[in-house]
Amino acid sequence: MSPSILVAQNLSKVVSSAEGELTILHGLDLDLPHGASLAIVGSSGSGKSTLLGLLAGLDLPSSGEVVLAGHSLAGLDEDRRARLRAEHVGFVFQSFQLLDTLDALANVMLPLELEGRADARERARELLERVGLGRRLTHYPKQLSGGEQQRVAIARAFAAEPDILFADEPTGNLDSQTGERISDLLFALNQERGTTLVLVTHDERLARRCQRSIRLEAGHLVVPSEP
Amino acid sequence: MELPFFRLLGLAVRQLLRDARAGELRVLFFALLVAVMATTAIGYFSARLNATLLLRATEFLGADLRLSGSSPASPEQLAAGKALGLEHAGVVEFSSVIATDEGIQLASVKAADSAYPLRGELKSAPALYQPDSRGPGPSPGEAWAEARLLVALNLKVGDRIEVGEKSLRLTRILTQEPDRAGSFYSLTPQVLIHLDDLAATGVVQPGSRVHYRELWRGSPEALRTYRQEVEPQLAADQRLEDARAGNRQIGAALSRGERYLNIASLAAVLLAGVAVALSAARFAARRLDASALLRCLGLSRHATLALYGLQLGLLGLLACSLGAALGWLAQQVLFWLLQGLLPTQIPAAGLLPALAGSATGLVALAGFALPPLAALGRVPPLRVLRRDLLPVPPSAWLTYGAALLALGLIMWRLSLDLKLTLALLGGGLLAAFALGALLLLGLRTLRRLLAAAPLAWRLGIGQLLRHPLAAAGQALAFGLILLAMALVALLRGELLDTWQNQLPEQAPNHFALNVLPAEKERFMAEVARIALQNAPLYPVVAGRLTAINGEPVKQIVSKDSRGERATQRDLNLTWTEQLPADNRLSAGQWWDEVGSGDLPGVSVEAELAKSLGLKLGDRLTFSVGGLTRDTRVSSLREVHWDSFQPNFYMIFQPGTLQDLPTTYLTSFYLPPGHDADVVRLARSFPAVTLLQVEALLAQLRGILAQVTLAVEYVLLFVLAAGLCVLFAGLQATLDERLRQGALLRALGAERRLLVQARRLEFALLGAVSGLLAALGCELVSALLYRFAFDLPWHLHPWLLLLPALGALLVSGAGLLGTRRALNASPLQVLREG
Repeated sequence: MSPSILVAQNLSKVVSSAEGELTILHGLDLDLPHGASLAIVGSSGSGKSTLLGLLAGLDLPSSGEVVLAGHSLAGLDEDRRARLRAEHVGFVFQSFQLLDTLDALANVMLPLELEGRADARERARELLERVGLGRRLTHYPKQLSGGEQQRVAIARAFAAEPDILFADEPTGNLDSQTGERISDLLFALNQERGTTLVLVTHDERLARRCQRSIRLEAGHLVVPSEP
Repeated sequence: MELPFFRLLGLAVRQLLRDARAGELRVLFFALLVAVMATTAIGYFSARLNATLLLRATEFLGADLRLSGSSPASPEQLAAGKALGLEHAGVVEFSSVIATDEGIQLASVKAADSAYPLRGELKSAPALYQPDSRGPGPSPGEAWAEARLLVALNLKVGDRIEVGEKSLRLTRILTQEPDRAGSFYSLTPQVLIHLDDLAATGVVQPGSRVHYRELWRGSPEALRTYRQEVEPQLAADQRLEDARAGNRQIGAALSRGERYLNIASLAAVLLAGVAVALSAARFAARRLDASALLRCLGLSRHATLALYGLQLGLLGLLACSLGAALGWLAQQVLFWLLQGLLPTQIPAAGLLPALAGSATGLVALAGFALPPLAALGRVPPLRVLRRDLLPVPPSAWLTYGAALLALGLIMWRLSLDLKLTLALLGGGLLAAFALGALLLLGLRTLRRLLAAAPLAWRLGIGQLLRHPLAAAGQALAFGLILLAMALVALLRGELLDTWQNQLPEQAPNHFALNVLPAEKERFMAEVARIALQNAPLYPVVAGRLTAINGEPVKQIVSKDSRGERATQRDLNLTWTEQLPADNRLSAGQWWDEVGSGDLPGVSVEAELAKSLGLKLGDRLTFSVGGLTRDTRVSSLREVHWDSFQPNFYMIFQPGTLQDLPTTYLTSFYLPPGHDADVVRLARSFPAVTLLQVEALLAQLRGILAQVTLAVEYVLLFVLAAGLCVLFAGLQATLDERLRQGALLRALGAERRLLVQARRLEFALLGAVSGLLAALGCELVSALLYRFAFDLPWHLHPWLLLLPALGALLVSGAGLLGTRRALNASPLQVLREG
């Protein structure tokens, strides 16, 4: 296994718009060891989410390369990248992205069922208990508060035991107290399971809890990543 | 990741159950259920009624299938039917002189075995002018005769008559033979004897003119097999007839009724397609986020598609089987409700309607859900981060095209009528495209006018204008639903009118043949005195067409064609100054327009002309009373054979046949209860042949009444299904409206404002749909009239009511559907998203 779980080299993203070509990310480098935690901060429109999408293999860079869990994403088609995500990657989103038609338990079971694990139900229940929702298993997302929904999302993200977890503004939709509890939970699980954590956030306090932090401004890395 | 099939299936089942529990599948499931149920129920109803009607029509043939010929059927032909388990009756018909001490009379004799008739009723009376009853035919040694033979020969029941060399005792008065209908024009009185006496009469000799008829009855499959086995080896003089071919009046009424029921089933298929299309699109749209998430979680594109495809397939199978079962049940209930009005035996219709109904549902589901579903496969996983990312537009033309093709195939299979299917589907498509484009343009123009309108207008109609393409799609969908409903209603009216015209209250129920020239004034005066209505007196000369443009007609006609049948026998030739009232010239000109040419003119019935390959200007040679007459075709006429008026294949220019021995023919209507008048008329004019066709009329009326009943019920069914589908379809488009309503209420809008805005929006949507439906309905009906019904088309001003009706229906259903959003707390709706 390579010592780094995530490597980005000279990563750029250019999109075409009505005004011509627009460069969202300019030649970015990154190297993240196993079990580390990284915060990507920056103002709205600085390119944070774009970077997250590229690192997680949800999108492809215009130039440069991403190596995720030892696999270069360049040259992998969407389905091969999907397989890679299934094996190594977990996600937490600002808007939770729970499936409305599934209750809390079924939402957490989903990645386990995709893997075909026989113990999906028990494991999902365990995880929901771990995030403090042991009594809300049969509630639908609409019946849960924002904080509770995000806890379900975190349980789901950790269910498949990913090597690396990408979180996009995980506390962005929550009040500060709830946000605090969610980040406690994230870091606790990060510690317990040795999962690498990459999060995009506005929240300086959350960023400070990470081992490393990088700042983006208009697609440029302005604070170099130092351990 | 790629999942093994069974894991994917298990996952699909679990997801489906969860979706169902969350109430997510209700709209699609309901739309499918209603669609399949309606298609199946109408399919069953039509098929079974058709079979019932056909069964009744077989009464006019005395059998399900009849093998006729001028030579006896071969032993192989008889053995084939018996081997298939068909019931058989043998009949031999010939003309013979009936001799008594009082005199002689030419009669049509029918020798039938004890099994005759296989369908319909044989009726007879114990004495002249006594009430009749049904029962088996005469035993050997007996003869039954029509009243006019007894009158002509001054006979009474119990007297003996000679048929050929055989002396038979006259035991009953023959009042009704089921298979008489096809030949009620025949000039001679009818006598019925037992087949066992035939040989003893000595009438049937080589070369004598005899018709052999083998009657068959049995299951449709066995009859079909028999037809397949026997048809290719028919002798030149033989032909096979079923009820349809046996009688024109019945055949025409049946075909029209059948086509109507067909169109109603096709309209139901169309309704089903629209309902499923609307809700399937919603099903897919609501899964955009979920599929992006699944891709994020590592499911491959292929597996994501397969997962949703399986879900949809499972849902479809479930809804379709349930819908088919309910549809079957619905028609059972309907037949049960109608049991007093229909014959006791209603044939079952097999599995086809249920299969067709389910297939319609599944094909519509696949056709209309797959394109948006395929789009789900193309949802970029990045959508989890950026909601604005939509799937790449699908190659919709291809997939929707395939869906329409599949729907077309189902319609064709269901109706077995390509013209009808093409007219309906093609007309619908044409209307949809033309009107859709017009609508889009209209909506875009409306946007400019709206800026200065009051708030309720801007809110309501703005909703439609924000997404003109979606609004146009919805208006088209509702327009198609209204179109299907209106079309079925419109055709119903047209059909009933046609039948009413065909059989008016006072349709002639008596024909008088063989009126002698010397008696005609006196006869007509007498008829005028007793009858309420009568046709003009037509001169008749019996003659035969022998050559066309100098070439013998035998070499021209094709075997078993109408042309052959019409030229094998003497035709009733007539002449008249005026074109008969219900005839219509389809080519050439009537006498007053034609100059006098080298040869006198003749007007030929159009279908016969087609069968003989005649065109205007052809020279026809007739043999009339041993003389030869040459004429030139000066016009072609369309004739309503299904009307009970005297009709003629050939009408000559006046002055052509006058010098030949002529008799006259007419028809008149006598109200019931005037039998004594008929008897008196018959006695005053012994030479005249009087034919009562009341029984035939009653049978035909019975059939038409049943078809009418079917038509009414099918209309009700289609209307009910249309309403359900309209409601289900509207439900499928409500998501965005619910959200907007809640948002406005959260911002402080009063309930009244919202109701007003909603009402305006739905009313506009409904009115536009109604307008589209009215225009589309005119277009499709014009195509149907032209290509399927052969009826003259005219504008239907009442269709202009459709926009108002559409506005009413859509706003009613729409307000009902959004009631929850208007009453529930806005917070709840907004949170439910």
